[in-house]
Amino acid sequence: MIKRKLIMIMENKPGALVRVVGLFHQRGYNIETLHVDPVTDFSRYKFIEEKLETKFKENEISRLTITTFVSDSLMRQILRQLNKLIDVIAVSNEETTYLKGVLLDENLL
Amino acid sequence: MGVILKLSGADMLMRALHDEGVELIFGYPGGAALHIYDAIFRQDKIDHILVRHEQGATHAADGYARATGKPGVVLVTSGPGATNAITGIATAFMDSIPMVVISGQVASHLIGTDAFQETDMIGISRPVVKHSYTVFDAQDIPKIIKEAFYVATSGRPGPVVIDIPKDMTAPDKLYDYEYPEKANIRSYNPPIEPEQNQIERAVAAIISANKPVIYAGGGAIASNAFKELFELNEILDAPITNTLMGLGIYPATHKRFLGMLGMHGTYQANMAMHNADLIIAIGARFDDRITNNPSKFSPDAKIIHLDVDHSSVSKIIEADIAVFGQVKNSLEAIIKTLKNNLDDYDSKRLKPWHSQIAEWRSSHGLNYELYKDESDNNSILPQAVVQHVYNITKGEAYVTSDVGQHQMFAAQYYHFDKPRKWINSGGLGTMGFGLPAAMGVKFAFPNEEVVCITGEGSIQMCIQELSTCFQYNLPIKIININNEALGMVKQWQDMNYGGRHSESTYQNSLPDFIKLAESYGHVGIKIEKNSELKESLEKAFSMKDKLVFVDVYVDPSEHVYPMLVANDSLENMWLSKDKKT
Ligand SMILES: Cc1ncc(C[n+]2csc(CCOP(=O)(O)OP(=O)(O)O)c2C)c(N)n1
Ligand SMILES: [Mg+2]
Repeated sequence: MIKRKLIMIMENKPGALVRVVGLFHQRGYNIETLHVDPVTDFSRYKFIEEKLETKFKENEISRLTITTFVSDSLMRQILRQLNKLIDVIAVSNEETTYLKGVLLDENLL
Repeated sequence: MGVILKLSGADMLMRALHDEGVELIFGYPGGAALHIYDAIFRQDKIDHILVRHEQGATHAADGYARATGKPGVVLVTSGPGATNAITGIATAFMDSIPMVVISGQVASHLIGTDAFQETDMIGISRPVVKHSYTVFDAQDIPKIIKEAFYVATSGRPGPVVIDIPKDMTAPDKLYDYEYPEKANIRSYNPPIEPEQNQIERAVAAIISANKPVIYAGGGAIASNAFKELFELNEILDAPITNTLMGLGIYPATHKRFLGMLGMHGTYQANMAMHNADLIIAIGARFDDRITNNPSKFSPDAKIIHLDVDHSSVSKIIEADIAVFGQVKNSLEAIIKTLKNNLDDYDSKRLKPWHSQIAEWRSSHGLNYELYKDESDNNSILPQAVVQHVYNITKGEAYVTSDVGQHQMFAAQYYHFDKPRKWINSGGLGTMGFGLPAAMGVKFAFPNEEVVCITGEGSIQMCIQELSTCFQYNLPIKIININNEALGMVKQWQDMNYGGRHSESTYQNSLPDFIKLAESYGHVGIKIEKNSELKESLEKAFSMKDKLVFVDVYVDPSEHVYPMLVANDSLENMWLSKDKKT
């Protein structure tokens, strides 16, 4: 078990955060720290806009950072579960990024 | 489209449901839903079915969805209406059944004030829904409905809740109505087509396997992959097993069918899984009733896993080859690639594997000597009840079930040749599911035979729906396998708790089910003797226009076998009370 950092880009919609937090509780994963901010600088996420053929607008998306203690195999499971949440656009750990079902081999967030 | 109407929120809701193709809603009214109920009264496109308990509404919608493949729709009021619906929502969630549940909510300005019948439905339902919506602006109702149905039915299906505060449906506020043609959710993109390189790896593994087994589950039914699975196995000629949720996705009477696997799976199915060198998992999720102890599961098998849900793959058993996509599309791709490599595939290679399986089947297959003595000196065997029902209905009925021994006997002895005919709560294991689910099926297919195989424990959990059945004239056949006990609990107590039957019997307090059925306006038939069994069941099924409640008293000491030895591998099973493999 090592400390891991997860980053998520998600829709800034009512209930979105509680779904993420609830998922950790429901699946028995622990949250060490949690931080959430609205995204104002979209330039870093151009690749998402291109991939999803969308244009982010002011206040539309948030960036969420969670640290947690988990094993490798559990980490992958958490990523996949988070990626399944409808309001989560992309989620990454140190090595990988899930962008709506597509697995990319690096941390792009 | 095109024409823009001015409608209230409630009228928009009904109109949107109709535009979405909804024909039936199962529901129960109450304060927060009254504007919607008035809109129901003023339209004639959608039928509303008044159940007797909101749990019944969700199970009925669920049964309808399982049988038709179309989403079931439920309407309940806030507070107790919403909480009563939770068990049914969780049931649908665990089995990935498409369902849209609309719950009334107290008016926006009252939210958070502990108002009368206020409950946080979104919060309570969150762990058991695929997604949920609150309507904050009535103008969004058409878009939310469109999205909700798209989410519920696409990818891995599941229930979606829409919570609507009462003021959103008020009759005096009108909005422009237009139903969107498409739902467009940028953050939701379930896979459909598989990646070709994974398909090629899968086909290579298939070509080199000597002891393959196909293990297909509910996901294959959800994906409507019957034809593709059949076609694939016409080429492979591999033994095939189905999960409890997958029964019917491959014809049970086919010679390559091994029966169900897992906890109460057949000897040959569990042995084949344990000894396989390749498992082709199709829309199945390796849950604990299947794997038993994951570290002892199928030690030599390579795993190909076809699934639409990334998080189901390598969750419990690591997959060697993962194929993400709609199972139907993935199977099509495998067939196509396999056909291009047909010279490399020789099904004759499987001959020794088939003879091994035939040996397993004949040594400990299901059809042990059930009919050793069918005289009235012996009590009726529950297995025999299911076999008679199977014969009388020619294996063509829709069969719903509850949870317990009767459910396992139904799964083992009613042989389903087609998908969507076996309707049961596999994941959550909800007692009370059977009767309302049967109603949902009967509404969908009024001319088909619908049988509910239940137990005296389970049937009492939603017995109130007998009244709904009378109101809407639903001639279901209820087969109550009455062992005067919570049989499955008792079986575990027999096997693991020294036979101490803690709270699993009722001390002669069961109702007279015949009188009960009659008081609800139906027919009741009691069967207590072997000599009456066949004839009385035939009589019940001959009453085409009547709901018949058949109360069959069976041997209370009977256990379900085979049964996996706890926490062990799939080759270790109890075959009878005193025989282990
Ligand atoms: C709502 C609910 N409560 C409890 C259980 C646990 N449980 C599983 S089987 C069973 C006994 C069911 O009794 P009955 O319906 O008579 O079926 P039998 O096993 O006797 O055939 C119980 C209590 C359950 N599955 N669902
Ligand atoms: Mg019973």
